[in-house]
Amino acid sequence: MAIPGNKDTRDGIIFALPFLLVYLVFMVFPLGFGLFISFFNWDILSSGAFAGWANYRRLFQDELFFSSLWHTVEFVLITTPVLMVLGFSMALLVTGNSPLRKVSENVFFIPYILSMTVVGTLWAWLMQRDYGLLNQIVRQLGGEPVGWLTNPKQAMWSVGIATYWWTAGFNMILFSAGIKQISKEIYESSQIDGANYFQTLFRITIPLVKPTAALCLILQVIASFNVFGQVYVMTGGGPHGRTRVLTQYIYEAGFRYFKMGYSAAMAYILFLIILVISVIQYAALGKERS
Amino acid sequence: MRTHNRKRAFIAIALIGLMMLSTLWAAGTQEQAKQEGPIEVTFWSLFTGGDGEFFDAMVDEFNRTHTDIVAKTDTVKFDNYYTKLTTALSANNAPDVVVVHQSNLLGYVPRGVFLPLDDLLAKNNAPLDDFVAAPLEAVKYDGKTYALPLDVHALIMYYNIDLFAEAGITKVPQTYAEVIAAAQAVQAKTGAMGLAVDNTTATYKAYTLTRLFMSMLEQQGTSFLNADNSKANFNNVAGEKALKALVDMVQLHKTTPAGLDYDGAVNAFRLGKAAIHFNGVWATGSFEKQADLNFKTAGLPPMLGKPAAWSGSHTLAIPVQRTEDPAKLDAALTFILWMTEHGDMWAKAGHIPTRLSVYEKESFTSLPHRKDYAEAAAFAFAPPATPAWEEVYSTTSDMLEYAVANNQNVKTALQAMETRINNIIASY
Amino acid sequence: MKKILLRSFEVLILLIWIFPLAWLVITSIQLESDVISSTLRLWPRNPTLENYRKAFGSTQIMHWMANSMTISFSTMILTLVVDAPIAYAFAKIKFRGKEILFWAVMAGMMVPFQVLIIPLYQQFNAFGLVDTLAGAMLPRLAMPVGIFILKQFFEGIPSALEEAAFIDGANRYRIFATIIVPLGKAAMATVIILSFINAWNDFLWPLIVINDTARYTITVGIANFQGTHGTDYALIMSGALIASIPQFIFYAFFRKKIIAGIAMSGIKG
Repeated sequence: MAIPGNKDTRDGIIFALPFLLVYLVFMVFPLGFGLFISFFNWDILSSGAFAGWANYRRLFQDELFFSSLWHTVEFVLITTPVLMVLGFSMALLVTGNSPLRKVSENVFFIPYILSMTVVGTLWAWLMQRDYGLLNQIVRQLGGEPVGWLTNPKQAMWSVGIATYWWTAGFNMILFSAGIKQISKEIYESSQIDGANYFQTLFRITIPLVKPTAALCLILQVIASFNVFGQVYVMTGGGPHGRTRVLTQYIYEAGFRYFKMGYSAAMAYILFLIILVISVIQYAALGKERS
Repeated sequence: MRTHNRKRAFIAIALIGLMMLSTLWAAGTQEQAKQEGPIEVTFWSLFTGGDGEFFDAMVDEFNRTHTDIVAKTDTVKFDNYYTKLTTALSANNAPDVVVVHQSNLLGYVPRGVFLPLDDLLAKNNAPLDDFVAAPLEAVKYDGKTYALPLDVHALIMYYNIDLFAEAGITKVPQTYAEVIAAAQAVQAKTGAMGLAVDNTTATYKAYTLTRLFMSMLEQQGTSFLNADNSKANFNNVAGEKALKALVDMVQLHKTTPAGLDYDGAVNAFRLGKAAIHFNGVWATGSFEKQADLNFKTAGLPPMLGKPAAWSGSHTLAIPVQRTEDPAKLDAALTFILWMTEHGDMWAKAGHIPTRLSVYEKESFTSLPHRKDYAEAAAFAFAPPATPAWEEVYSTTSDMLEYAVANNQNVKTALQAMETRINNIIASY
Repeated sequence: MKKILLRSFEVLILLIWIFPLAWLVITSIQLESDVISSTLRLWPRNPTLENYRKAFGSTQIMHWMANSMTISFSTMILTLVVDAPIAYAFAKIKFRGKEILFWAVMAGMMVPFQVLIIPLYQQFNAFGLVDTLAGAMLPRLAMPVGIFILKQFFEGIPSALEEAAFIDGANRYRIFATIIVPLGKAAMATVIILSFINAWNDFLWPLIVINDTARYTITVGIANFQGTHGTDYALIMSGALIASIPQFIFYAFFRKKIIAGIAMSGIKG
């Protein structure tokens, strides 16, 4: 916008300053320190020795690094699509004409305000193999108890289920905003054309909420890549490391095994992966928009 | 009127804000106050749940009986405790006394964060000869003492008397074959679980498998790592026998359900739905609380040879501080010695005392079960003394869990384990 | 007929969704011995408030609650103070390097927190912030989620309003205070609410930086309900519920604002 006297650069900096100061002290500086650490063999407690790229090189030979990274990717793949669809479906429900829409909105959103620890312990309890509610029900129906968190094939999905329950409500709100934005006339004209519910859904609603979906997707992927709490509380990375995600390995390597330099190097790789994926997403979605 | 209200609201908010600011930065009030009066000894522990109740009671009793020292405990749950401790130690910011597992101690000691206690012990005439020798030996590194053991907690056997009677078992099983036979007899005759051993990680890691594996190696006269703890020592006949025993109890004999986690195993035994249970002595406290549970304890059976049982130990150490205050160090040692001396109170949680004098106290000898496994503690061995232990321990648990769950060929499994463990040790 | 089927389906889904919470409450009003049983019982045999008595009686739970309140309210206010101006700058002011700066700030969302723990602790130790509530709270302020939401919203405010004010001789600060802030209320409400929720739920960092039990936050405090050897689910669930009650109250009060706010920020995409 045109500005008299053109003080934009000055103003921009002044307005940005309070946050930038905080960001510099509590994010950029520690992050820089972390990068520094990643080039050292450092056990946290005594002084470290410069290691050059050794920590980064070592990571490529560490099968635990790759399996943990894969588990993280797996979690992203398990949660992202479902959370998008779930959030969208919920949004359809709460923006529709059901008499239950207000109740639904609350019911779906409330889990989001709970803390990760609460959600994690609650679901670990529901899914406890021998006394948890889910298996009580399964047994009542005459089935064999399911190892929700103890069967390697299901454990990651079970953590996913808890995550769906916890965060789908947030996506619902984003999507319902997008849906409410679509003008009534578009729907009316489509009705006049004789389109049924599903035709309207696929021809109008879905194409028009794409921008919202894009925002939702970016936030979701970032959150899923950084997953730590749910897995740590619910499975502790088990069974036999089958759900150990990269953040957990980073945590263990640093604080349990005193390999802080290595831990920092892995954290940086994860950071880079997330950054690259976000930029690609942003660019791809931006292209689609224009 | 409106603006007036707004003004008032603003003043109220500003006041609340100020109050908050002052609490936000409130710290160290006690530090100023403690110049006079009793010396404050700050202390971190990781005991929560049942253990925590008994432990806090001990600290209360210490404070009740001491006018010159105040011990102040701050507790952090076990799985975050070491993260917090390490972080604080990195800035020389740890409290006066901390609890450290003997197996974790060696991760810290070479880094110079704990005070060697020898001078302090000598100065205070600490009754070192009253300590049980083995656990005291286990806290020494390069000839120096870095902590004092509060307890020993060995792996033992719990068995349900009623289920044994119902299945007609009259003799406490000793060999592996006897344990399996007893478990199968119970399963066949009562429908209860034969042998409750956690073999899957859930809320707690399935460490019991590693503890059993190590014990079974020792029972065959060998050990998990070689003599100087530089290499794995289990990829051999003894290791195959031990691993096969673990795999078979789940896969072949089916005396232990696959996928059983720690809470599941403990609760099965506690509810009287499992005949035999291998666990640390710490479980005793919660089993005793169960009204209709009729159980007994025995040392871990010498399943594959001679008696031997894994054991851990909680030790009390003094972190190196930025400035050393001799009076405080004396107070810290007084606290540590008092805690070990009152092992009878700690024994209520199930833990085995480390002071010889405690074994003579009536308050200890009158506790049920404790005498049985205190004797069993004679066969207890400590984990290998290597800074790599934490990673070795956790990796081994994962791999054993995998082998048991997948009925893996023992040779393949041990080969893979050996490679991994050797790599880990080499990386330290 | 089709409608009834559809409604019953909806009701079923809602019941399923709310049931975990109901189970949290049901578990918390039982004794541990009743909780661990292999028979399915939807309503407790002996409902009791014993766990709550234990939680309130033998811990400093009220202290923890107060600490969490202090931290969450301070975070909420300070977040707004630092986030709103920069969001405005990103949305409305053209200056060199804006794109790069924006991405540099957004990248903060992607950092795995584990890598920051040791550096932050060393820093806070030097500042004398260890074992203070401020220390537990400050790193939260550097989280840029609020900026993202506010920027999206501010961009939607028509530039014509600003231009008119410029012509009247107002400067940026005036415009920000008299136009942007009043118009951005809904989005700001969202940001403070989300930052309240996030600050309340923070766990790992407060655990590390606070030593004194009396200064624990509620999430750190109730984590100790997990036993060293063995889980007392009933007690844990009562702790979980107690820790969540202020969240529920907060939500009940600001429900409309939260939903409207998130909605508005999502509009632009």
